[in-house]
Amino acid sequence: MKNRLRLRSRLSVDTMKNGRCFLILCVILGLNLSLNLPLAASSGLADRVVEQKLANGLTVLMVERHQTPVVSLNMTFRVGGVNEQVGQTGLAHLYEHMAFKGTRTVGTKNYEKERPLLEEWYRVGTELEQRQRDLARKSPERPASSEDRAAIEELQKRFTELQEKAGQFVAGNEMALLYQRHGGVGLNAATGKDLTRYTINLPANRLPLWAALEADRMAHPVLREFYKERGVVMEERRMRNDDSPTGLLYETFTSAAFRAHQYGIPTIGWESDILSLTPADTEAFFKAYYGPDNATIAIVGDINPKDVMALIEQTFGTIPASPPQPQPVTVEPPQRGERRVEVEFDAEPSLVIGFHKPALGHADDYVFDVIDAVLSDGLTSRLYANLVREKRIAASVSSDSNYPGVRAPNLFVFSATPLAPHTTAEVETAIYAELERLKMEPVSAKELEKVLNNLDADLVRALRSNGGLASQLALFQTVAGDWRYALKARDKIAVVTTADIQRVATEYFTKSNRTVATLVKKTGGKKIATALEHEVAR
Amino acid sequence: MKKVKRETLCVKRGIVALGMLAMMMLVPMMSACAGNPTLGDPRQMTFKTVEFTPPDADRVVLNNGMAVYLLEDHELPLVSITATMRTGSWLDPAEKIGLASLTGSTMRTGGGGGLSAERVDGDLEQFAGAVGISIGRQSGSASLDVLSKDMKRGLQIFAGLIRTPAFEPARVELAKLQAIEGIRRRQDNAGSIAGREFGKLLYGADHPSARESSIESISRITRDDLVAFHRKTIHPNGMMLGVTGDFDKSAILALLRDIFGDWEKGEVPVLAIADVPQSQSAKPVVRFVNKDTSQTHLRIGHLSIKEQDPDYVALAIANDILGGSSFRSRLFNDVRTKRGLAYSVGSRLNSGVHDQGVWLMRAETKLLSTQEVTARFVANMERMRTELVTDSELAEAKEAYVNSFVFSFASSSAIVGRQMELEYDGLPKDFLQQLRARVIALTKEEILAAAKKHFNPERLTIVAVGSGEALPKLLSGFGEVKEIKLAPEG
Repeated sequence: MKNRLRLRSRLSVDTMKNGRCFLILCVILGLNLSLNLPLAASSGLADRVVEQKLANGLTVLMVERHQTPVVSLNMTFRVGGVNEQVGQTGLAHLYEHMAFKGTRTVGTKNYEKERPLLEEWYRVGTELEQRQRDLARKSPERPASSEDRAAIEELQKRFTELQEKAGQFVAGNEMALLYQRHGGVGLNAATGKDLTRYTINLPANRLPLWAALEADRMAHPVLREFYKERGVVMEERRMRNDDSPTGLLYETFTSAAFRAHQYGIPTIGWESDILSLTPADTEAFFKAYYGPDNATIAIVGDINPKDVMALIEQTFGTIPASPPQPQPVTVEPPQRGERRVEVEFDAEPSLVIGFHKPALGHADDYVFDVIDAVLSDGLTSRLYANLVREKRIAASVSSDSNYPGVRAPNLFVFSATPLAPHTTAEVETAIYAELERLKMEPVSAKELEKVLNNLDADLVRALRSNGGLASQLALFQTVAGDWRYALKARDKIAVVTTADIQRVATEYFTKSNRTVATLVKKTGGKKIATALEHEVAR
Repeated sequence: MKKVKRETLCVKRGIVALGMLAMMMLVPMMSACAGNPTLGDPRQMTFKTVEFTPPDADRVVLNNGMAVYLLEDHELPLVSITATMRTGSWLDPAEKIGLASLTGSTMRTGGGGGLSAERVDGDLEQFAGAVGISIGRQSGSASLDVLSKDMKRGLQIFAGLIRTPAFEPARVELAKLQAIEGIRRRQDNAGSIAGREFGKLLYGADHPSARESSIESISRITRDDLVAFHRKTIHPNGMMLGVTGDFDKSAILALLRDIFGDWEKGEVPVLAIADVPQSQSAKPVVRFVNKDTSQTHLRIGHLSIKEQDPDYVALAIANDILGGSSFRSRLFNDVRTKRGLAYSVGSRLNSGVHDQGVWLMRAETKLLSTQEVTARFVANMERMRTELVTDSELAEAKEAYVNSFVFSFASSSAIVGRQMELEYDGLPKDFLQQLRARVIALTKEEILAAAKKHFNPERLTIVAVGSGEALPKLLSGFGEVKEIKLAPEG
């Protein structure tokens, strides 16, 4: 699958396998931070990062790499699914989409004329949707009046007119177009539980373009084409969660594992919440969380840090700091018994198991990183060797020590597919047997050595790509408050003992601390597609 | 549908300045705002085209015909080696589809070079080395990624697996079971069904570019088949090696001669894939697959030209403007931005040298908007065939192409990989420069002519996966709708 005229970076094999061969904007990230891919200890990274902080709180991390005249830019905000309120799930991700709609300068043909139309359109749209919801709540005892219906009809008419009028001033996707014209590749953004990131790679001499566009977007975004973009997000939800067996299994699993904390909510949001998000909600979310003091910019490539800082001071430096961001208060209460959930789907069976564990920075977190590697890293890992190769009951098995975020206590997750005719129950039993072995027997010295060798090699490999390095730097600065976290974590991992592993396995891998979700083959029943007709097609 | 290969946009020398293009750009908006107070309006910024001469890899041919590309890069203590091999599933016998793929996966997992499978896996993972081997439709590939201190032992394992794989019976059995499980899970995802059924309708279900393994075909394959397929198709004179990273050229050449030098030449298979006879019927083919999903997964298109075709550049840019360039493209702006009907939408021209290309448009959209999206696809295709693209669309396409050239050299391994791919496909070394020159010279009239000739409404094949109850009616305006009934796998 090659096309020598295509202007994109390489596609991943996974992307191709699923037939998703188009550039996809605004991917939702699970942000599974694996410490298998952090920063380099042995390659002198610590000396190569230039760290600066502006007076308004903006953090800038820079690494010079002069092999090719290109630069990777990563702007990461400390905001994500955890910052959403009940009834407004999906808001962080919807804002991320809206952030591509331009500013008072870019994306418009005439902002002065556009602005009043946008304001009126969004006022009418919000009232229309409120009335539509009220109408839907009417009961046979309190039926809708003909006035109600007439008012909605009038609002709908007005809505369509205003949408049309405002649309005449839109210069569609202009920011993206500018980046593309100047040779930008990999324009994208992603929203996770803990953070939201915006990325682009440019020829190195185009940095002023980036600074002008991004500072403008941080200071003065304009939320255009709101209702259509919300429709796009609905399609994204259907594609990723509703029609994907893995997506739906994970959504169901996660919401069963967390009863209180926001980690239990799908980052893309629940369908009914997405459909009731308003332009005002979205604007308010931007104002609360998108200040320079809540952002880290990582820049890796053919740059001169002094010049870059001058450029950033000139542009981002003029943006005022925002008030302190409200912090989430909900803490997940301890789990007091096993939870089991099922998802019926027209697909072959699969299994997810999760155990609650502490957040990033807790002493036990490093022990879980070692356990993760021992159990599922490579063909010689315990789960692969035992379940896939020896017993031949699983087609695949993997683990993840930081799901679905890292800033709050999270889950250690196992994911597996049985090899027919074996069942998810057999695979589940075999996984538990491996966990019991972790509790009973010390892990061998050779296994520990392997974990550390691979960690050290991955620390070096992470430096290969500008974009990968920028992403890692911004990530750890955002979630740990320090990009050096990965270097420090390596040293903590190096001193994890066999006794630590036995203790942690015994403490956390218990029946009452786990949630188990299985995907079972659907047989008949209600059709999915027919349930969607209530969505207003605007 | 086809083997995944690297994206290959590559120029070797500095890029021709296109200042005139920037001036041609029509910026059709007037703003009351002045943009950033210090830097000015980003829409008016101009920059010099980036000049960059990437390093050139050395090419050395061993006595047995193996071509080796070498490019030193000492920034990090790593060595990366990739191999491209003249083999592929086009060689699969009809009753044993899956043979090439299984040979590739078991070359990796079955041990070799005198080491047991367990020893290979254990040694590699202990020193954090990574080896991959796979065989796709039109080529085989292998890779080694090691810290430079482990280069020698890594290379020995790598060469052992390629030259003398052991195909340990237990590992062969496991690979077969996993292949069968993969087949059983093929119908789990609607998008996968749509893509595979579309390919089979275009090429025919038995054509090497579309045919699929089955539980029966995998079950028939024996260890002896794998041994024979390897012996027959993997030869040093059918192989290229690309070495990049932290090594010394003369030292590694000595090592490569030591490890591969006594491997004797063999008869390399000829890569020839039959063209599909064009069907005489001039009517669109409309098919649906019933699956209980909330969205309709759409694929619309037909067979297209090869990369050597004189119209290729014009058609590729036509496709770029139609739906190939994400944000810039018409389909993205129409179906996604203006109508809000899809998250993932666009078009693609997949053309290679060896088999016929495919051109397709695709989207996922909720059931109720299936008809509208399909109609927009057809209308946008028609517009490409009947109207000249605008001056700004053409200028944007050219600027994007020229200005992003430099990303072809983002890494040493990318540079070497592209050189190897051109050699594999028998294309001239300056093929990409030729393409670039053609793009720069391209006119709106050439694009229209290519679109008219190669986007053909009568030849459209439409595949939709989704609600079997509703789809026949929703698609009835586009041709005679028939169902593809999938037999359950396994």
